[in-house]
Amino acid sequence: MSEFINENPAILDENLLPSRPEDKNDTIWDAQLNLASIQRRMQLIDIHQGADCKVYRNIELVDRLLAKEAYLNDAVAPGLTDTDTDDSELEEAEDPIDAQEVYDMIAHISDPEHPLTLGQLAVVNLPDIDVRENKDKTKISEVIVKITPTITHCSLATLIGLGIRVRLERSLPPRYRITILLKSGSHQSENQVNKQLNDKERVAAACDNDQLLGVVSKMLSTCK
Amino acid sequence: MPITLLKSLELHSDKLWSIDSAKGLMATASSDRKIKLVNLRATDIREVEELDDSTHKKSVRSVAFRPHSSILAAGSFDSTISVWGQDENEDTQGTFQETELLAIIEGHENEVKSVAWSHAGEFLASCSRDKSVWIWEADEMGEEYECLSVLQEHSQDVKHVAWHPSMNLLASSSYDDTIRLWREDSDDWECVTVLNGHEGTVWCSAFETSESQLRLVSCSDDATVRVWKYVEEGDDGEDIWTLEAVLPRIHSRAVYSVSWSPGGFIASVGSDGLLVVYKETELGTWEVVAEKEEAHGVFEINTVKWANVNNKELLLTGGDDGNANVWSFDP
Repeated sequence: MSEFINENPAILDENLLPSRPEDKNDTIWDAQLNLASIQRRMQLIDIHQGADCKVYRNIELVDRLLAKEAYLNDAVAPGLTDTDTDDSELEEAEDPIDAQEVYDMIAHISDPEHPLTLGQLAVVNLPDIDVRENKDKTKISEVIVKITPTITHCSLATLIGLGIRVRLERSLPPRYRITILLKSGSHQSENQVNKQLNDKERVAAACDNDQLLGVVSKMLSTCK
Repeated sequence: MPITLLKSLELHSDKLWSIDSAKGLMATASSDRKIKLVNLRATDIREVEELDDSTHKKSVRSVAFRPHSSILAAGSFDSTISVWGQDENEDTQGTFQETELLAIIEGHENEVKSVAWSHAGEFLASCSRDKSVWIWEADEMGEEYECLSVLQEHSQDVKHVAWHPSMNLLASSSYDDTIRLWREDSDDWECVTVLNGHEGTVWCSAFETSESQLRLVSCSDDATVRVWKYVEEGDDGEDIWTLEAVLPRIHSRAVYSVSWSPGGFIASVGSDGLLVVYKETELGTWEVVAEKEEAHGVFEINTVKWANVNNKELLLTGGDDGNANVWSFDP
């Protein structure tokens, strides 16, 4: 008799898992942003009390184009890479959370029965993560993760889903509502598992269970 | 008809699950394993007591005041129910009196999800993930409990129990998407009807306060709020109920709690952070008369209760932020 529920799962090479490519424009954008333009932006934020105002966005666009032009001309302006602007003051401009970021949070969770991660086993996949970001951070945003168990009768699907939910609840700001679903057709008891994974009371009760929480913590110990 | 925030109390360090109020006192239950009491009559609305937090080993899920007394029952995920009160033998008139543990009731196999007292304070109902509803008979002191019946007809977790405000009629809501109504029948309790219609877990229900008609409001994971109406007694001894109304679909996510005020207003809250008040314009027709977005910021709201304090209608809400918010509502 097998010790594993799925003895031979397909495995992906960890180096080939989706990750965020280095964006040259991003680097240039940060490097070329001189103190004056940062201050101008801060001022505008103060004036308009939000980064979503149209004027601000236009200014930002111009800044970006200028930065890009500088990059194309291969000109590195002197003294602009080392600004003493306090990072925390720039938090207003923090990037919204995207699917890749959610993927990075959960792809390194360990499978409960294999010494492999959920990313390697293709239980979580980048295209199956949907982030519905509300630009207004005082409002609710949504993250939907569809998971694909390695076999359709996987009895560990609920535990895996719970691990993902606990990880996301701990990592994402509280404005995100998290929905975890089994990918359509991936499991015999799809509806039952889905119902359980999205019942906040059952999840809360599971988190009150020290034994279960121990198993989940072990799964999450490989997260980066 | 405005809803105005009177006070936001940062009471708990984790989810606030349940609120009940009586005699100007509000009790709250939380995942931080604490039960707190708040004086709603004081002009500054403040916390007056925290009950012994070593009593429950897991989340406290539900609190309920016993009518005509100062006794409080609390159900916990640790599978027990605690009962609290004040020692009335001691002569401590005029001084602050600490609330003491009167009893611990054991019986459920796992998480207790809800507790509720019957209108006369005679019976205590409890329900659990073990799929059962228990009816307990309490002595006057609130110290002795005898289990009268274990009702096991739900096929899944029972999420909530609610008694009628003037009859010994009990409603239980379940993860099996149904509501069952129970009545005492020659020494035993039996299911008199099953309300089918919700397309998801039924989280909560509440009876209308009325002498002339018998109605129940319920809310569900399917994001709807429904009003059910008693029609007549059927031939087989079962009661016939019908769906009278689906309230305006304003919630976008699960609705976790509903409350029906003695004045006839229904309030609902849920995962979308909305606090909504509905009014019946003509029999069976409801409209939204007030709504508050982000009533607990970006957090989910787990519970709503109407309370009458100093002759004013208040709304009490509790959310995942651990806060209890006290709102005034001007009809």
